[in-house]
Amino acid sequence: MLVDYRNNQPSDMAGPLLEFETEMFLSLFGSDGLLVTAEGLGIDRILLQFLRVYSEPGSLVLLLNTTTPEQEYFTEQLRVEGVTHLPRTVTSDVQSTERYNVYTEGGVLFVTSRILVVDFLTDRIPAHLITGILVYRAHKIIESCQEAFILRLFRQKNKTGFIKAFTDKATAFSSGFCQVERVMRNLFVKKLYLWPRFQASVNTALDRHKPEVVELHVSLTPAMRAIQSSILDIMTACLKELKRYNPTLEAEDLSLENTLGNSFEKTIRHYLDPLWHQLGAKTKALVQDLKVLRVLLLYLTQYDCVTFLNLLESLHSSQKIFGSNSGWLFLDSSTSMFVNARSRVYRIPESKKKLKVGAEVKRELVLERSPKWEALTEVLEEIERENKSSQHEPGRVLICASDDRTCAQLQQYIKHGSDWLLNRLYHRTIGKRDSAALGALELDLEKKGKGPVRKGTKGKQPAQKKNAKTTKGKSRPSLTLTQMVGKEETGEAAVMGSSGDEDELTDEDGGEEEQLKLDLPSDAYYGVLKEPLTVIHPLKGCTDPHSLTRVLHEVEPSFVVLYDAELSFVRQLEIYKANRPGKQLRVYFLIYGGSTEEQKYLTALSKEKKAFEHLIREKATMVIPEEREGREDTNLDLARNLDPANATTNTRKAGGQEQPTEPSRVIVDMREFRSELPSLLHRRGLDIEPVTLEVGDYILTPDACVERKSVSDLIGSLQSGRLYTQCLSMTRYYKKPVLLIEFDPAKPFSLTARSDFRHEISSNDVSSKLTLLTLHFPRLRILWCPSPHATAELFLELKRGQPEPDAAAAQAVTAESDTVAESADLYNPGPYDFLMKMPGVNTKNYRALIKNADSLADLAKISQDKLGEILGNANNAKLLYEFLHNVVNVPAPIQKTKQT
Amino acid sequence: SNAAAASRRDAASKLPRSDNAEVTCVSEEAQEATTGQIEGSGQRSEPGISSGPKPVGSGSTIIVSPRQRGNPILKFVRSVPWEFGDVVPDYVLGQTTCALFLSLRYHNLNPNYIHDRLKQLGHTFTLRVLLVQVDVKDPHHALKELARMCIMADCTLILAWSPEEAGRYLETYKSYEKKPADMLKEQVEKDYLSKVTDCLTTVKSINKTDAITLLSAFSSVEGIVSASKEDLVVCPGLGPQKARRLFDVLHKPFLKAKTKDS
Repeated sequence: MLVDYRNNQPSDMAGPLLEFETEMFLSLFGSDGLLVTAEGLGIDRILLQFLRVYSEPGSLVLLLNTTTPEQEYFTEQLRVEGVTHLPRTVTSDVQSTERYNVYTEGGVLFVTSRILVVDFLTDRIPAHLITGILVYRAHKIIESCQEAFILRLFRQKNKTGFIKAFTDKATAFSSGFCQVERVMRNLFVKKLYLWPRFQASVNTALDRHKPEVVELHVSLTPAMRAIQSSILDIMTACLKELKRYNPTLEAEDLSLENTLGNSFEKTIRHYLDPLWHQLGAKTKALVQDLKVLRVLLLYLTQYDCVTFLNLLESLHSSQKIFGSNSGWLFLDSSTSMFVNARSRVYRIPESKKKLKVGAEVKRELVLERSPKWEALTEVLEEIERENKSSQHEPGRVLICASDDRTCAQLQQYIKHGSDWLLNRLYHRTIGKRDSAALGALELDLEKKGKGPVRKGTKGKQPAQKKNAKTTKGKSRPSLTLTQMVGKEETGEAAVMGSSGDEDELTDEDGGEEEQLKLDLPSDAYYGVLKEPLTVIHPLKGCTDPHSLTRVLHEVEPSFVVLYDAELSFVRQLEIYKANRPGKQLRVYFLIYGGSTEEQKYLTALSKEKKAFEHLIREKATMVIPEEREGREDTNLDLARNLDPANATTNTRKAGGQEQPTEPSRVIVDMREFRSELPSLLHRRGLDIEPVTLEVGDYILTPDACVERKSVSDLIGSLQSGRLYTQCLSMTRYYKKPVLLIEFDPAKPFSLTARSDFRHEISSNDVSSKLTLLTLHFPRLRILWCPSPHATAELFLELKRGQPEPDAAAAQAVTAESDTVAESADLYNPGPYDFLMKMPGVNTKNYRALIKNADSLADLAKISQDKLGEILGNANNAKLLYEFLHNVVNVPAPIQKTKQT
Repeated sequence: SNAAAASRRDAASKLPRSDNAEVTCVSEEAQEATTGQIEGSGQRSEPGISSGPKPVGSGSTIIVSPRQRGNPILKFVRSVPWEFGDVVPDYVLGQTTCALFLSLRYHNLNPNYIHDRLKQLGHTFTLRVLLVQVDVKDPHHALKELARMCIMADCTLILAWSPEEAGRYLETYKSYEKKPADMLKEQVEKDYLSKVTDCLTTVKSINKTDAITLLSAFSSVEGIVSASKEDLVVCPGLGPQKARRLFDVLHKPFLKAKTKDS
């Protein structure tokens, strides 16, 4: 049975722009700039409006920094609205020859950044025809080197096109010095448009059609409250320790309040990463502990008592096994936390404790219900009453919870009730693990023949199934059928938690019950189909970031229950309501009063507010140079400083040599455009020629070929053997092969951390492998660069006074080219490499073989005895002979159909 | 000879001072190196002329120039024996390998020192390592200069961030002197098919599927080796270009000199 809730045609999710949204659009449309809105305030709607305007063949607009699901969402929206010239996506699947045509066809284009960089450099994209560029997630422009490079190349070649940038992460600008100024400089925009939620016109517009809000402050149970305060105590202690060990850490960022926020991990990494290798084991352990404690806090309010205890017990046992704890488990607070956590699940009767000392302990299950569950039931009952009493058709319900694990639990809870769910959870986790205790319990209860035991649950299951079937037959209005269409990764929660038992649970249920297809546009929802339609959807963790938006517009709920509060969705609901004046929308907030959960929400709110206030102040004092937009030739960021180093050389040479008229050039492998280096080289005035190179990443001079490796690449490629092969070909075909080791500026400039230093030489160390590499390739030069900026500078130095490389020559270097004289190779590389890979052949005996056989074909003619003589080792001879002459029966592989 | 005697005495006096464990603990790698040497011809260094005195660095010890006396990094050369000797570089790590040591702090005070040393060193060793200890706070400018210098003077720049690490590099160079490159190369599966595939895919553009096709068509490596160009071309998926490349590799002489003759 499919409930037909889609009686109206596919909804136009965007709807007409609200007054303030039109204002936002017009101001940005009028002149280039960076638009910063409050989170959830519908930046997508503004962007969509731009896409609507430019989706026509007369314009050519590029949209940067979007993900595939976002592109699909935008395209779908435009299609629904009947836009004909829909945006197109250009990835590496589009042949380079076709790309020019795609560009000239106009409209909005989503182009992979790497391709765009290359096409700008090779003039494959008609830069002068570009109407403008839209930048999504503009706050990321500083880290995302490719996008910044694209904008720079665009501005150099096109002085009239627009640049408009969008972001709703005001908080991203509060870190770092003059962050917003730097972002705007990278974007080449002069204007900053700020739209906080407290902006007057936003306020009035949204106040006019406020949704009805019911805040339900649920109180924590005494045990939960006690646990919460224990955790907070321990966290305070950990923070204190952390500060004691690292006095340089800024006190403000490490307040308890901030520790609760989501960005804590990022903040702490930001401070500690550069000196991570110098930190003591104690500090590292403390950081790890804080992480664990944060998870505990989350679990306390997010999930049920069994899941929480299970996590706690697993922490306890893993610490026992690995002995890796920094002592918090032995604090008083921690003991009381364990006691309280257990008391929520079971208790051990006083009398029996005394009776049987040393015998199996019997537990009586307590299974405390989550207070929010009960609040949810009340809310749902209220909605039902309301729906009955109203004359309109029953309003639909959307329940939102933070992650899909919570959603799955809620679905189970609504379907089966809390006792069923908790019992089941208990017996699948703690009960199961504690098999001795369970055995005793089962025996005990079997005798008594009552109480919730595993057996009992097992017996219940089929009953439940029957139940569902019969009710379906009657099709009463209160019919409850559950189904789950898609299951997202439970992510970190599952890893840390109770081993994904709920997954099993829900899977089973899915199998038991009839599949009902709710035709919703998201695959992450949990439908609890009843009359009225009730849908549960996670707030976070969906692969499609718009899935909640889609569900909201498809379901069109009259009631939204926020099991967990999230800033941007609350704002989205406000806009949603303002767009549909007159239609009922009631929002229930379920929040634990006085809990860290509430604190977290409030902190997020105030953080954003502070970020905007900071931005407003910065905007007031910002001095923006007239040439910022780079429409004239006066912007210094666009000027590619043509080698000031050259000038000094010339004075030194004193001969007054002519400066080379031709700009200096570096040949860069296509695959290298993911890194920042090409952009930096270009900025320093070097011309970049993107080609596909078989040998090396950068060709600086006709002789110098550079293979660039980040530290992690270096370790990986030394391990896999890839670097050896790369060095082999570089030394064969170039006079000056260079290995460039590039360090991450945010990490320590050092190859091995001091703490990892071994007492003896170990062939597993990077330094040992690097040593061996240089021994085998004495001509290989090594460059150590602390950052891409340093590399760019060094490249410029190395090119000074050297001849320019030739792209065609570099591209033509393949395994069949002639080797350079310096390689001093007596052997032809092809046959030599083949020979060295054969079993029984090694670096000590290959010369003897070559003396006795001219070629591989010759080698195959030699008898095993003769091979033994040549190699002086019967075993090697046997290996080689058998390798050559073994007859095997291998089935021919299936040929792939060729695509040309 | 006076100096040599002094240095020998020096080395001897060094030994009892370090504790027993350090003297006896010659790592596996070091032993491997020694055995490698007994076997004689390594890949990189052709055996020298047998008559006359042994060339510098052919022994199993690192030869340290007396200039390096008192350098703290020597304390950390523990798993390989070392002795003083009258040599041009700071450390002779093998017949073809030597190292100059430079502390960045010293370099900042005496920027010309290393330049002179490099000039003096000349090209007598194939692998000349410039071992730099990064012991200043902001090393970037000096490192840039040294990197350029190393490219010009054909030296291999190695950075160490502590005396332990620098000492470790010296040890490793000596003990890996004769070590084959096996641990740098890709590890191949032990089964026959993987080995054959591994060999055949050294030929440009021959992929794994091609390798299996070839083996199934000619049933042995010998079969592939003795196949004619025409036989190879008709293999599905191979085509004239791949066939030619493979045929060339199988029939080209190993020695370049002979290629020119033919």
